[in-house]
Amino acid sequence: MRIRALLRFAGSLTATNLRASLALRGAFWLQAVLMVVNNVAFFTMWWILFARFHEIGGWRLADLMTLYGVVASGYGFAVVFGGGARRLARAIVDGELDPRLTQPKPVLLHAVASSSIASGWGDVATGVGMLYLAGRLDLANAPLLGLAIAVSALSFVAVTVTFQCLAFWMGDVEQLARQLWELTLNFALYPQPLFAGSLSFVLYTLIPAGFVGFLPVEVVRNPSLHACLYALGGAVLSWAIAVSVFAAGLRRYESGNRFGAIGS
Amino acid sequence: MSAADASAKYLALAGSGLRRGLSERSILVGRAVFLGVILFTFSRIWSLIGARDSLPGVGTRELIWYLALTEWVVLGTPPMFLAIERDVRSGDFACRLVRPVSYVGAQVAEAIGESALRMAALAPAGVAGALLLGGGLPADPRGLWLAVPLALLGSLIATLSMTVVGLSAFWVVDTNPCFLVWQKLVFILGGLLFPLEIYPEWLQRIAHATPFPLICWAPGRMALGWDPALALESGLEGLVWLALLSGLIVLVSRRARARLTVAGG
Repeated sequence: MRIRALLRFAGSLTATNLRASLALRGAFWLQAVLMVVNNVAFFTMWWILFARFHEIGGWRLADLMTLYGVVASGYGFAVVFGGGARRLARAIVDGELDPRLTQPKPVLLHAVASSSIASGWGDVATGVGMLYLAGRLDLANAPLLGLAIAVSALSFVAVTVTFQCLAFWMGDVEQLARQLWELTLNFALYPQPLFAGSLSFVLYTLIPAGFVGFLPVEVVRNPSLHACLYALGGAVLSWAIAVSVFAAGLRRYESGNRFGAIGS
Repeated sequence: MSAADASAKYLALAGSGLRRGLSERSILVGRAVFLGVILFTFSRIWSLIGARDSLPGVGTRELIWYLALTEWVVLGTPPMFLAIERDVRSGDFACRLVRPVSYVGAQVAEAIGESALRMAALAPAGVAGALLLGGGLPADPRGLWLAVPLALLGSLIATLSMTVVGLSAFWVVDTNPCFLVWQKLVFILGGLLFPLEIYPEWLQRIAHATPFPLICWAPGRMALGWDPALALESGLEGLVWLALLSGLIVLVSRRARARLTVAGG
């Protein structure tokens, strides 16, 4: 399929999802605002700590805000545009991929972009706010910020897909996939110097917080060609793994014998 | 119904909550893993900071035990508000009113049973994590004995306040926003991650005017040193808050029942 047609398809799915989210305007705003409150409350911990200690492992409050800004924005865009990834395991176990297999569109793209989580906009708003407070939100920084956030978002979706695809082999892994994914997010929100040594290896393999947080934030904290290439390489590698695992899993997929339209 | 009969019924309900907890082993494992991760993360934070300026006489080891105790209470208390919300949404609440036992009492009893199981299961994980990551017991480990009853009291306060969150379903239907607010108040004002003594003074004053420190800080504080007078004070304060929360629950559930009579189940 031509790239342009693929992008048009992804754009249509996104537009439909956004319209669906905004249809329930009250719920949309409530979820988004509550997510901002939730994130700010979490960040209070860092404000209190840095007010007393000023520096942790060479990181200052502005560095933490930058990390939080990039990861929260990346996470927000990931669930807004790729919210379906978090429901992939359930779809696999329940045989809900059937209707998508008959469509002349890529199954993975269709499944991932078929759902949007409104609270993600609250994460995006928090992220942007943090970047502003960290003094990173200016025109000169915009390309690097765009790259960092895009890489983080893409890696988030890829990592989620990989975890959820375990359902092809292990059956109902919703809880396990959710826990692995929460661990990834949890580690990504702390400064990298906390996890030096052998744990670094785990954070770039089993719990890939490095791809969703550590590498993207370095693009903004210490901009260089190397930092950009590492971050991009991380996203490409994440997607290569996700697509390979999904393709391998799809060969084992058993139909749910479902009749009905998509989403029914 | 005699007091003995009532106690037997609520004990049976607590037992049923405990058995339900036993059937959800994956949740217990997940919580134990999360406890280990959070202890590890903060052990790294405290070792980088050096805990040098944190509190006089308090080192990394004590701060890790503090966190193990606070997380023990929070992770050991089940989110029972969800069951109340489910019953309100489905209309089961009305059906359960005809049973010869208080609906709210039954929910609290089941939650206590489940908490007992969760706390018993998480205790070894917390102790092992704190010993391993902290490098031993706190400087004065006697305080840990005082922490246990305070942790049980904290869990009960958390359960009662979550009951109020659950009953809010009669007005707001989706209780998740109320729960998120409650959770963050426990997080910040309760001193979940580090002792309130590290906070700015104005925030400490606000926190101590609420019941949230009794959920986390009061049991956790016992890891920082032997202070039976403070433990007694916290225990008495906790009992006062238990009485206040019970009164609030009676008030809210009466209003909820009146609302049910008017609006239907």
